[in-house]
Amino acid sequence: MGNFNETMIIIKPRLNDFYGIPFTQEEVDFAIPFLDEDIPLYIDPFLFWKSPSQQDNGLHLSVINSFNYLGNQYFKGNSDCVQTLIRISECNEVGLGSSKTKIGKRIGEKLATEILSLYRDIPQVTKSGFTHFEEIQLYVDNIAEDRISDISANFIKSFLIDYTIDQCEKHAIPIEKVRVDVFDIKSFGFKTEEVFLPQNPNTKQPILLVPKRWLRHSTFINYEDYFSGYFKKEVDKKEHQFERIKVLNFNRQNYDLVKTYIKIKERHQADCQNDPLFRQIPVLSAKRKLQTIIKLPTGKINNADKKYEENLCPLLASLLYPHLDFAQAQSRTDSNVSIRDLIFYNNCSEKFLKEIYDVYNCHQVVVELKNTKEVEPDHIDQVNRYLKDSFGRFAIIFTRNDPPKKVMKNTIDLWSGQRKCILILTDEDLKMMCEVYESKNRNPFEVINKKYVEFTRLLPS
Amino acid sequence: MTKNEVDNFEKVQAQLEGLHTEISALSKKSQNDRLNKFKLKFVNQILVDANKLLGDKYRPFSDFTVFDDIEMPSNSDVAMMLTQYLNCFEKLRADNIRMKDVFPKNWYWIIDGTLSDIRTVTPQIIKEKK
Repeated sequence: MGNFNETMIIIKPRLNDFYGIPFTQEEVDFAIPFLDEDIPLYIDPFLFWKSPSQQDNGLHLSVINSFNYLGNQYFKGNSDCVQTLIRISECNEVGLGSSKTKIGKRIGEKLATEILSLYRDIPQVTKSGFTHFEEIQLYVDNIAEDRISDISANFIKSFLIDYTIDQCEKHAIPIEKVRVDVFDIKSFGFKTEEVFLPQNPNTKQPILLVPKRWLRHSTFINYEDYFSGYFKKEVDKKEHQFERIKVLNFNRQNYDLVKTYIKIKERHQADCQNDPLFRQIPVLSAKRKLQTIIKLPTGKINNADKKYEENLCPLLASLLYPHLDFAQAQSRTDSNVSIRDLIFYNNCSEKFLKEIYDVYNCHQVVVELKNTKEVEPDHIDQVNRYLKDSFGRFAIIFTRNDPPKKVMKNTIDLWSGQRKCILILTDEDLKMMCEVYESKNRNPFEVINKKYVEFTRLLPS
Repeated sequence: MTKNEVDNFEKVQAQLEGLHTEISALSKKSQNDRLNKFKLKFVNQILVDANKLLGDKYRPFSDFTVFDDIEMPSNSDVAMMLTQYLNCFEKLRADNIRMKDVFPKNWYWIIDGTLSDIRTVTPQIIKEKK
């Protein structure tokens, strides 16, 4: 498989989709970067600290030592460290966070000074530094997991470069010579290095891969957790007495209280787990969604179509994981009809998926949702138009009842004439998918394979 | 039947009965559940052996040989088919055994057209009539 065809559209493209490299998120050790937006997760240094790996612990030590060194330099009156902190406050190469543009902004001088002044204002910090620098969220406003993540990434950038090169070699991801600024722990400054890294094909920006085991939706030690789980119980017993800024100031004056909170978090380290990029819904929840769908009337009565989409979207995303990674749900209008579809990445993780990739050029699987009594030829035409030059020649329609013969003939004719394959799956197929999701005897995606084989048996030889 | 075929028959019949017991239990628990690939692989292996022994004459259905993995057969589908195979095995056995006239009147396999010394149990149909 080579680079993907320029005329094709990839929804929410990821690095491997661009290069046509077939692996799923489940199969690789790193979070697969999106090309147009950031991965909505953050590096949590607490995960380095609690990791059984000596390497991770070493990285934590390096991050903490570097951060404390900056603070110590500030305390000694070296103003360069403010600029260093500003520079390490953003790491665009790792592409983590909520940015839709993949370009983040650094912190300002005022905020950097405020952070470093903790080393001057809190005697215990002046003396011993931090053991978990994410603690700064509890003293300084406008600092959250995104900054903690980027600062950590910058401190361990050299390691991340090696890790990225290693993973790229392992998975045959193309790398190119790029110049990146790397924080040098010997000189405590930045130096520019020429290294080989993958590049974002759109922006030409170098990309750093990050191990999944370090990523969380928010840091384990964070302000919200501290405030609701500790501060309100221990200090602010009469609720709403303290506002955020007051809490932050209170913390600066009562370091021991924060220290106790940190000790509690350390004791509960087993609760700190990395967050996956996608979490399947539990079986019970899947069964509930299936029951809701089955009971729904067809058509638009009482917003049944919306409810159908709302329930089917998370259900299918979970049922088809990890064989098909969910990309996103979309809405479009065709002939004044609003159409909802779901897009899945096809990374050829199974023989059947490889076949539809090769035969129908299906890089992403389009699943259209139709809460209609029966599928009509118009619906097939809509999907056909949608497939045109965009998603290859394979699509799935999820609907409520078996399609009438004329519609099946329509899909067969479409295959005969244009070699396009449109499968129609119904509530019965969804039930079977949920059954195997629960029993784990088979994979739900095999139901699609079954429908595909049944469809091919109908085709003229 | 030859002696080899009789040996094979007894082995495959025992395997079919074992599978039938196992899968009937699964079927009673959840009949619509799909049989997993691992079990299905071995069911199909035994069915291949069974088909060889039964030949076209005794095979339960002319258009069925083994389960298609892609069809994802359910526990009850497999249990039903195994019952059919067991019945046909019994029919094949009943046609190839005879009771000795001498006391204690046990049943023996007919091998290469003559009554052998390989004992077998009474045909199911006679047991049921009793």
